[in-house]
This record gives sequence, structure tokens and C-alpha cells, in this order.
Amino acid sequence: MRRAVRALTLPLWALATLAMPLALWAAFLLAPEERVMGAAQKIFYFHVPAALVTYAAVAVLLAASIGYLWTRDRRWDNLSRSATEVGLLFCTLVLVTGPIWARPAWGTWWTWEARLTTTLLLWLLLLGCLMVRGYADDRDLGARLASIVGIVAALDIPIIHKAVVWWRGQHPVVFAPDKSESLAPGMAAALAVCTAAFFVLFALLLLLRYRVAALDERLHAAAEAARGREEIR
Amino acid sequence: MKSYPFLFWAYNVVWLGLAAYVALLVARLGRLDRRLDALESELRARDARDPRSGRA
Repeated sequence: MRRAVRALTLPLWALATLAMPLALWAAFLLAPEERVMGAAQKIFYFHVPAALVTYAAVAVLLAASIGYLWTRDRRWDNLSRSATEVGLLFCTLVLVTGPIWARPAWGTWWTWEARLTTTLLLWLLLLGCLMVRGYADDRDLGARLASIVGIVAALDIPIIHKAVVWWRGQHPVVFAPDKSESLAPGMAAALAVCTAAFFVLFALLLLLRYRVAALDERLHAAAEAARGREEIR
Repeated sequence: MKSYPFLFWAYNVVWLGLAAYVALLVARLGRLDRRLDALESELRARDARDPRSGRA
């Protein structure tokens, strides 16, 4: 497992190094400028992929949390910890770029609209996951509690996704089932390129964070072993 | 034209945020690697001095 993680890191670095400039090209050169909103609409090409990656990170968090509660295998907890932190990063990007777009589009930085509020709730839950783990004296207890908070955070995802439909908020519906509201071809292509680039970056960050968590685990085990030997003496 | 500053700041936040996180992860990896190496070599040195308490 450790070798597979190490072997994947370099190709993912290379892929991400190519993908991110490609995403910039798609957002600035491939996508046409929107007539009403102008340049600010291009925030959309990083805001939406960041939101989709947040969904993916929370899906990984859900699977890892269930895996840990089921098996008590520390590797699941390492994955859960990694997905939480990376998910929190992308959720922060969503919450920062959203208001920067909203100011010229809606005339306000923030409104307590359903999608924005439920996304803020997700951010707080992910932060809670990290805090529960950080403040627990016992590593296993911290992992158990963080897994439970992780599952609760995952329950928020369908609510975020459906919030605009259920509560008819101001937030635009990006993936509308009605074809007349769909994106122009250039915009859809740019969004697809940016989304693919963000997913490559997500995979790289998750892998790097998993390596940090696995090393931390080994360090903890080595420190415990050293303490055990001291006690024997 | 008026909305360019918003675009500028949004992209800066994204790139700076991602770059800072990558730098943080690489630094954490390096630090943990060094600490683990130090601890493992200390354990090996202890085992060499007093083999009864170690794995050997």
C-alpha cells in the first residue's frame, strides 16, 4: 500500500502540473465572455469544480468513516482525516470565491440563502471533524467521534445539492435538467476541462495528505514502542 | 470592465490557497520523515547497547 501511494505521487504531480495551466487556458481563452456579468462570470470555472471536488472529498470521507467504524483499521482513519482536510480546503475555496462572484452579480457579498447556508454548515462540520480528532486525548476515541461527525457532514451534501430546488434560493442552478437553461458549448467545454483539472489536483492532495497521515501513524507507533522499552527497563 | 478586480481576487485566492496547502503538505512530509528517521535510529542505537529490551 505504502509503495503504491509513493508510486502514484510522481505521475499525479506531473498530471496536475499540466492540468492546472490547461484549466486557466480553458477559463480565460476557451470560454466566451458572458454578456451580462462580463469577466466576473469566469470565477464560475473554478468555483463550480471546487464545489464538485468538495462533494467528492465528502464521499471519500463517508466511505472512510464507515470503513473505520466497521473495521477499526487505522488506515481508514488516515483516509478519513485526509479527505476531511482536503475537503475543508476546497469548501473554503467555494465559500471565498462564491461571495467574490456574488458581489457584482447580486450586489451583496453574502445572503442567508439556502445553498450558501448549508455550504457554510458543511464547512463547520468538516472543521468540527478536525477539531474533534485534534482535541481527543485518546486517538481511537477521536477517530470514532470524527467518523460520526464525518457521516453527519455527508448527510448535508444532498441537502446542499437540492437546496436551490427545495427552497427556491437565489443561487443559480448549474446542472439544470431543462436543456434551454444549459451552458453555451464553449462554456461547457471550459467547465469540463477545469473540473477534470481540479479532480487531478484533488487526487494529488489526497495522496500527499494520506502520506502525511501514514507517516504520523508510524511515528506514533515508533514512539509507543520506545516508551514500551523504557518501561521494560 | 468593472468586474475585473473581482475576477483577479477570486483567482488569486484560489491559487494562493492551493499553493500554500501544497507547500504545507510538503513541509509536513519532510518534517515527519526526519523525525521518524531520528526516532528509528535512536531505537536501533538503544537495541545495539541493550539487546534485551529490543526486538533483537
